[in-house]
Amino acid sequence: MRNNPDGTEIELLCVIVNFGLGSKIMKFSKQSGMRGGTIFLGRGTVNNRILEFFDLSDIRKEIVLMLGEKTIVDNTLEELNKKFHFDKPNHGIAFSTSVLSVLGTKSIESNGINEEKRGAEKTMYNAIYVVVDKGKAESVIDAAKKAGARGGTIINARGSGIHETGKLFSMDIEPEKEIVLILADDQITSPITSSVREKLEIDKPGNGIIFVQSVNQTYGLR
Amino acid sequence: MNAITDKLKEVLFSVLPIVIIVLILNFTITPLETPTLIRFLIGALLIIMGLSIFLLGVDIGITPVGNLMGSSLAKSNKMWIVLTSGAILGFFISIAEPDLHILAGQVNSVTSGMISKFSIVIIVSIGIAIMLSLGLFRILFNVPLYKVLTGLYALIFVLALFTTPEFLAISFDASGATTGALTVPFILALAMGVSVLKKDSKASEKDSFGLVAIASAGAIIAVMVMSIVSKADRITSSLEINVSSSNSIIAPFIKALPTILYEVFLALLPLIVIFLVFQKISFKLDKKGFSKIIKGFIYAFLGLVYFLVGVNAGFMEVGTTIGYILASQDNKSYLIFVGFVIGLVTILAEPAVHVLTHQIEDVTSGSVKRKAVLAALSIGVGFSVALSMIRILIPGIQLWHYLLPGYVISVIMAYFVPKLFVGIAFDSGGVASGPMTATFILALAQGAAEKIEGANVLIDGFGVIAMVALTPLITLQILGLIYKIKSRKGGLDKDAKQS
Repeated sequence: MRNNPDGTEIELLCVIVNFGLGSKIMKFSKQSGMRGGTIFLGRGTVNNRILEFFDLSDIRKEIVLMLGEKTIVDNTLEELNKKFHFDKPNHGIAFSTSVLSVLGTKSIESNGINEEKRGAEKTMYNAIYVVVDKGKAESVIDAAKKAGARGGTIINARGSGIHETGKLFSMDIEPEKEIVLILADDQITSPITSSVREKLEIDKPGNGIIFVQSVNQTYGLR
Repeated sequence: MNAITDKLKEVLFSVLPIVIIVLILNFTITPLETPTLIRFLIGALLIIMGLSIFLLGVDIGITPVGNLMGSSLAKSNKMWIVLTSGAILGFFISIAEPDLHILAGQVNSVTSGMISKFSIVIIVSIGIAIMLSLGLFRILFNVPLYKVLTGLYALIFVLALFTTPEFLAISFDASGATTGALTVPFILALAMGVSVLKKDSKASEKDSFGLVAIASAGAIIAVMVMSIVSKADRITSSLEINVSSSNSIIAPFIKALPTILYEVFLALLPLIVIFLVFQKISFKLDKKGFSKIIKGFIYAFLGLVYFLVGVNAGFMEVGTTIGYILASQDNKSYLIFVGFVIGLVTILAEPAVHVLTHQIEDVTSGSVKRKAVLAALSIGVGFSVALSMIRILIPGIQLWHYLLPGYVISVIMAYFVPKLFVGIAFDSGGVASGPMTATFILALAQGAAEKIEGANVLIDGFGVIAMVALTPLITLQILGLIYKIKSRKGGLDKDAKQS
């Protein structure tokens, strides 16, 4: 396992907030020492019976990804939480995951090995990623909710696996995909993955992929 | 925060400016009668409610259908399917557009029946059908938008040489009339549905726009060709514009309701039918997805009805009255200035503007900010109303004095501006000329024209929409240039959306 030499550990900070807040999060994080980040759009779900009846439970979200040293990430997370109150309902969520190596950024010096520090703090949450064909994200969330998940964020994406690629007329195409990001407690992670796996028949070729990342710190999950 | 409060907030901020401006005018230069003012406020309330519901409906109903349709057409990988479906879609959407029927009725009466209402509706719809196919063809075969637009506007220019000034105005107005509140979101979504499949993400981004622009050029060409062929080159009769003044507060709303119910239903019908047909043969959505889209259609229907009732019964009369009173002032510069301000705020409440700006954010992942586009649109429409007022005040200025240089500048700019903004700009022309401008700003211009001597209510009334559709082309392309320069200054940001 490769990591850094000088003991600096790199983490990925991920913040999911309502549309329009992304730039503010980024600006604020830079004040806390982060060097930059990437923002993209997603859709989140709201748990509300009435809204679900009217099919209005979708809400636009922004997802901010930022890389930084562990100490800075921890500090930023704390500051962000103070400022944006992730602990209150519907104020967004933030979490950090470990990153093995980073290339291409001058501000984070890292090109070597670091000891595996996993286990130093106990991971309680996991980030589950499900990549499926466009239109199937809703059923992924349904399946996950049945297994105990609180909700999820849907990100529009595109890409092609080995089972699909092609050219329509004179344009090269990549099929549309949806990525579903679900944060879940350690205990319910495997029920969720197996529920999704069963419902969407992930094991059949070309039906999508699931992977799970462990999360170091989370704010905003209840 | 949830979807509903989110939308309400957004809509509130876009309708409040116009309410505030009218209230200020009421207490300063143009006092309104109390019933009119109360009706205006009720209208504003209906507009806020209606617009919120309508936009929710567009989000979960109309846009998804457009996207799905675009993708599944492209995935068919058969030329004839794309071309014929494009033509059929274009024809039926346009033939059901209430604004087109109103325009056709007006043309019918001003030409003393030389051009029948029926033939206008059919011919414009054919024009739109051909252009929609052409627009889809362009996306699929990567033909640059600016080339297509140069060709189309060159053709329009040649046709314009043979068209009389009156018909010039009518034909440019037709482009605004056919791109209504339901058509624009659908066509926008259709283009996005096709181009989102593209592997090259820059091409996918810029080709999401431009289809509305091409479709509305179809309407212009169709009306011009018709006026040349039928030799109905002169306006032979004039149009009665009756400004009904009523003291009752509720009656106008109730009176407006049945027509609007019918018109909105008619406009929505082709979309529903097309959706049901495609659901059977191609989409095959599951039960949940299907019911969601049907709910979306219901919201869009209810929302649009509320909105249009509010505009027609609450806003129209205020527009005419303000225009009339301002034109009676000794100092005519009031008229120009107030026209500018009203243009500035009216466009914010235009339904399709919300749809366009959201699509821009979605397509560019939020890097082109909604507010920047709104500001550019606002300024553009502000200038267009001010220029229209000058045209009404000074009889010597003809519509083509504005249109010719305006379009020449826009087409030339299209060669320099980042291609994404070319698409956005030319689309926004059709987007800006929706139901809100068509009623409120048109009413303002007609009110002013009625008072000014030497101004013809009809001739000066026609052409206002054409102006509203023109100026955003320039202001949004200027915005594109600013973006280009700004992102260059970043230095590292080397692929500054330019391709």
